[in-house]
Amino acid sequence: MTMSASFVSTQYLASSLVLPVQQAQAQLATATTEESTGQYADLGLQLGDQSGYELSLKEQVQQLQTLTTGDSVVATNLSTAQSALSSISSSAQTTAQDLATWTASANSDAELHTMGQTALQELISSANATSGDVYVFGGINSSTAPLADYFSSSTSAAKTAVDQAFQTAFGCLPTDAAAANITASQMQSFLDGPFAALFSGGNWTTDWSSASSTNTSAEIAPGETATTSTNANTPAFQNLAEAYTMLAAFGGSQLSSSAQQAVASAATSLVTKGQSALTDTQAALGATQSRVSDAKSAMSAQLTLIQQQVDGRDDVDQNATAAKITALTDQIQMAYELTARLQQLNLAQYLPVA
Amino acid sequence: MSLSAAFNIISSSFAANSAQTAVVSNNIANVNTSGYSREVVNLVTNLDGGVDVASVTRIANAALAEQVATSTAEAAAQQAIANGLATLAITVDDSSSTTSSSGTDQNGASPSAMLANLESALTTYQDSPTSSSAADAAVTAAQDLAQSLNAGAAAVNQVREQADQDMASSVSTINSLLAQFQTANDAVVSGLGSGADVATAEDTRDSLVTQLAKQIGVTTTTASNGSMSIYADNGVLMFQDTPQTVSFTQTSTYADGVSGSAVTVGGVPITGTSSAIQSGALAGYAALRDTIAPQYEAQLDQIAGGLINAFAETPQSGSGNSSMPGLFATQGATSLPSTSDATGLAAAIEVNPAVVPSQGGNAALLRDGGINGADYVYNTTGASSYTTRLQQMVSATGSTQSFDASAGLGTSASLTDYANASVSWLQARNQQASNASDYQNALVSQATSALSNATGVNLDSEMTNMLNLENTYASTAKLLTTIHSMFSALLEAA
Repeated sequence: MTMSASFVSTQYLASSLVLPVQQAQAQLATATTEESTGQYADLGLQLGDQSGYELSLKEQVQQLQTLTTGDSVVATNLSTAQSALSSISSSAQTTAQDLATWTASANSDAELHTMGQTALQELISSANATSGDVYVFGGINSSTAPLADYFSSSTSAAKTAVDQAFQTAFGCLPTDAAAANITASQMQSFLDGPFAALFSGGNWTTDWSSASSTNTSAEIAPGETATTSTNANTPAFQNLAEAYTMLAAFGGSQLSSSAQQAVASAATSLVTKGQSALTDTQAALGATQSRVSDAKSAMSAQLTLIQQQVDGRDDVDQNATAAKITALTDQIQMAYELTARLQQLNLAQYLPVA
Repeated sequence: MSLSAAFNIISSSFAANSAQTAVVSNNIANVNTSGYSREVVNLVTNLDGGVDVASVTRIANAALAEQVATSTAEAAAQQAIANGLATLAITVDDSSSTTSSSGTDQNGASPSAMLANLESALTTYQDSPTSSSAADAAVTAAQDLAQSLNAGAAAVNQVREQADQDMASSVSTINSLLAQFQTANDAVVSGLGSGADVATAEDTRDSLVTQLAKQIGVTTTTASNGSMSIYADNGVLMFQDTPQTVSFTQTSTYADGVSGSAVTVGGVPITGTSSAIQSGALAGYAALRDTIAPQYEAQLDQIAGGLINAFAETPQSGSGNSSMPGLFATQGATSLPSTSDATGLAAAIEVNPAVVPSQGGNAALLRDGGINGADYVYNTTGASSYTTRLQQMVSATGSTQSFDASAGLGTSASLTDYANASVSWLQARNQQASNASDYQNALVSQATSALSNATGVNLDSEMTNMLNLENTYASTAKLLTTIHSMFSALLEAA
């Protein structure tokens, strides 16, 4: 503080060090807090009108972290679906091979039935795969098992529908002796017509599937929404269910060899169709998986950059703060010493006692 | 020159010496009295060749005294504003961000941070739409947001109530100071008339002006008879021979939209007008109560209104239905609020009880819609992984909305940006007021030091004077002895 130094009041001299010491002590308290936390003691006061921008950066960090966590849930659901699709695919592969080696003969009828029953059970079990409490092939209707058990003890809706269709077409059940009279071409047209109709449209969603045809979707990156599931109402599931059901229902029955041959060849072509549809579904899910994983790595990179910006605003330079603490401590000590010395600078101390 | 003339001179010297000693003693006694102006004795040679005390001068410095008063008033105003803003800033203190168990940062306390937390909870919910805990977490985040707006509105009212109380006590201090000033001023005027020593009364008067300046910015003029007049810094007369009455009616409870009464001097309002006072604590309190806090409240109200609109439910079926408050509502509301009629929303906003499990509600209505009944159900099939409505809500906070211009943050922004801008607005004012307060306090300290150095007492200088006086006394006494012995010699010779 500069002033005309010719005259200094004693009061000023005595109090001149009070304000600087108070200021230094306040600064020391702030610096100590900042040194221990690594952040500015009062961020709002430090940033002023930049506070809102700072908040928006922190919100971005929060959003990216939340989306990253959410993406892990999505990725888990997707990989559960993929692994279920692989088992469906390998069971279809097995069935296709078995069908290729199968030839119609009197005592191999039961083989067709077993083949179909095993494959259908595997298909239903895979289609009802869950991730957490979510049926991954349920579409948005994820809390109900997509496919009901065809072979349940209380006759399933699907089995009833199959039996009814056969009854309507031929006036008997496949297990009745009268079924032996059905020709290969009659069987063929039944399979292509009334039987095939059971596996599409309203029949499928009534008798077979509780899944929703609407797939789930989720925001996987800021502003980027992806379809995150497939559902049991797609051709892959329908074709394979149709093929396996015809084998299970008509194999090992009273049908003639030629009619069984017709069943086997119809099943073979459906399995092939199903396999190709399955590959498409797997590819589509795979694309989503890679989108999610790309989104996660992009967000991770973004997160690092934004976090750096946030830290740049919030964080004090701890080396500088440490230096400041030392300087302030020195200053306060110096002020104390000066105060003590100033007390001695008093003419009365030096006057001889009268 | 006769020996008897020498005696006269010696006696005048003793008189002058004791007058000076009295002044030096007075100065030393007041060495630590703030606002004390030191006195000096003016000596003249009299007709006998001796010394007379012509006058005692009080070393005053009107310019520096005025600087002290001005800076004191400015500092007091800024300090009052800074204190109020610091109270408001606590409600937006986001420096304490914590990391939750899921590794997601949870930001502090501001409505803006709470909005981000809600967005984050809704995002998590849309990733796990079947999870009832995710639904509950979203409802809790919404409650935290509503509460942060309620708390902000309450803090605004608290700050206004405190400012109103402070104004009342400031007014009573001003009236008391003006009454004391009258006593001191009368003493100066009558003292000057009768030629008495008025230094003490003048010191008192100056000190009262400085105390007055803490409450209200003032300027002074002095008439030829020594009477001082005081004007408020907006030119309103406060004291001329007699004090004007300063009046104020206290308002004990504040709510959104309640305005407090003005301070008047002799019937003239000095707050809340275009020519209001500019400095002193009173000006700071008035600015806080009438301008700053209400504007912040208007911003909170706009945020609350924006929230109710952003999360509103639109009818999905039926006819003649209009959009209704969804997740956020106010009690008994039957329509959505408009931006121009948002008064009181921040205090009243709450999470719709229809989605709060502890109040008998169903948190899953967030996902499915239907808070306002069957016509407002979005998830018509009841599918448990339905996320369309949740995604709408997540993006609602980021889409542009209209806001009322009077809140001072523009008319068009996303809710998130608007809430952030409000925090910026508050913290910028907090920072400015805090800096201005520090700066003005430094000016006060500087001006006070300058005044103290110009008019105060230096002990060493007074001690030196004292020694000087001692020596003069000793020399005069010696002179007296010498003349005495000369007289004695003369008488013995005779």
